[in-house]
Amino acid sequence: MALELTVSGVEASYGAVRALAGVSLHVGNGETVVLLGTNGNGKSTLMKCLIGSVRPTAGMITLNIDGAAHDLTRLTTEEIVNLGVALVPEGRRLFPKLTVEENLMLGAYRSAARAKIADNIALSYEIFPVLKERRTQLAGTMSGGQQQMLAIARALMSSPTLLLVDEPSVGLSPLLVSQTIAAIGDLKRRFGLTVLMAEQNFNQALKIADRGYIIVHGEIAYEGKSRDELANNALIKELYLGAAAH
Amino acid sequence: MSFDFELLRDAIVFGLLLGCFYAAVSLGLSVAFGLLDVPHLAYPAFLVLGSYGTYMLYTLGFDPLVAGVILTPVFFVLGILMYRIYYETFEKRGADSGVRGLAFFFGVMFIIEVAIIQMFGVDQRTVSASYIGRSLEIGEMRIPNRLIVAFIVALVIAATLYLYLSRTFTGRAIRAVAQDEGALRLMGANPVAIKQWAFGIATATLALAGALLIIVAPIEPTLDRAYIGRTFCVVVMAGLGSMGGTLIAGIILGVAEEVVKIYGASWAPAISFGLLLVILAVRPQGLFGR
Ligand SMILES: Nc1ncnc2c1ncn2[C@@H]1O[C@H](COP(=O)(O)OP(=O)(O)O)[C@@H](O)[C@H]1O
Ligand SMILES: [Mg+2]
Repeated sequence: MALELTVSGVEASYGAVRALAGVSLHVGNGETVVLLGTNGNGKSTLMKCLIGSVRPTAGMITLNIDGAAHDLTRLTTEEIVNLGVALVPEGRRLFPKLTVEENLMLGAYRSAARAKIADNIALSYEIFPVLKERRTQLAGTMSGGQQQMLAIARALMSSPTLLLVDEPSVGLSPLLVSQTIAAIGDLKRRFGLTVLMAEQNFNQALKIADRGYIIVHGEIAYEGKSRDELANNALIKELYLGAAAH
Repeated sequence: MSFDFELLRDAIVFGLLLGCFYAAVSLGLSVAFGLLDVPHLAYPAFLVLGSYGTYMLYTLGFDPLVAGVILTPVFFVLGILMYRIYYETFEKRGADSGVRGLAFFFGVMFIIEVAIIQMFGVDQRTVSASYIGRSLEIGEMRIPNRLIVAFIVALVIAATLYLYLSRTFTGRAIRAVAQDEGALRLMGANPVAIKQWAFGIATATLALAGALLIIVAPIEPTLDRAYIGRTFCVVVMAGLGSMGGTLIAGIILGVAEEVVKIYGASWAPAISFGLLLVILAVRPQGLFGR
């Protein structure tokens, strides 16, 4: 399956607050692209535009699947999810009063995923054994790291082809951050996913990035065509030192 | 006054069966208020409407329970329409929809009461069937068959709802929707459609529950008022949205009412509000709340 995401000139606002001022980027089939930026620069807003929960005021978002182009700015979130796009949202957004397994089952809500539910659950438990141990526990009572694993596994339950991940590192200890990021890299390989991940933890994000972008004040301030190019540019060093290491 | 053991035993057995009936009439509210957070004050009015619907079909020759089954899909559609109106006029506007929603449902309750009075008058109505009026004798105890029917139907509705809510995709979505609508959307479900469907189910249970109401005792148009306290008490005591909990909470209320009746029948109607206040003060998440 060939897949390609093209974002061009996307603008978005919350009332008078302009969050995106003409963002263009591109994610190719099978790539892991990172969107780096410190707090408040528009990463989540772009993710929300991609999944259809924020409507851009200008610009185009096109998802090309096997030669068929879909204009995501005109589709509802349900329709976008049904195309095979899954978002692991900022703050995880689990269903706290449902069990781990019930959260996973909800991830398989879209009809294309229901047939593969048994396989996908088995795979989720294989990748995150702690979720299997805790499958009858209420999601809201788990630790932050476990919740993040569940949020990622829940997104995978929909059998996505494009996985969007918004700041998986938030609220996690450094060890858990690196484990979580490594798990995303691992999953990507095993499922043959295409990944777009927003992060402000540059160092960790770079570990799994093929290439990426830096977003500043709602605009793409730098495009790194490879991991090395991204890691060694002046802007990253400036932002990274400015944002303090964690 | 010497303690009468037999009186207490009868009260407990009776209360247990009555309690299952209370649970049966509360299960839909457990979905509408417990899971969806909709302050459905008109719920007991729909219950009484179910009884009058049953009565109407009964006068056409149907058995009351069969009438309840026939009315179930009608009530399902009624529930969906009801939610649609509530959603378009209140919920969609956000913020203070809770309080205004309460006013809306209060209005609906009065409209239903008045409509029933217009159509059926204020006289009491009853139905008869082979299982009404007779009783089962166990030793020296006599258990009315109509309560046994209510008991069985309550278990069937509770088990069906429990299985539906825990085993199906839509059922799980219904349990998730009030926890995080936005997250549910990310799963590819439409929260408004899910809530509308759930409201249909909640209302559909009232067709059979309404049939039980007229099977258990004669009805009158304003009987819904006695059930506002009872249904909300059971749902809050259960812990919002727990079906098994609803069954047990119903039994607790039924037994409490019957036991108190030994000492003074006039207190019985106040029991539900009393229990409701105690629960809210001591354990607001309910007995089985998560
Ligand atoms: N719901 C909202 N209402 C108003 N302003 C918002 C809202 N969400 C984000 N913003 C603003 O939009 C800008 C971009 O935010 P966001 O996309 O969340 O950035 P990031 O994810 O990079 O931290 C910020 O200035 C933020 O304050
Ligand atoms: Mg963000």
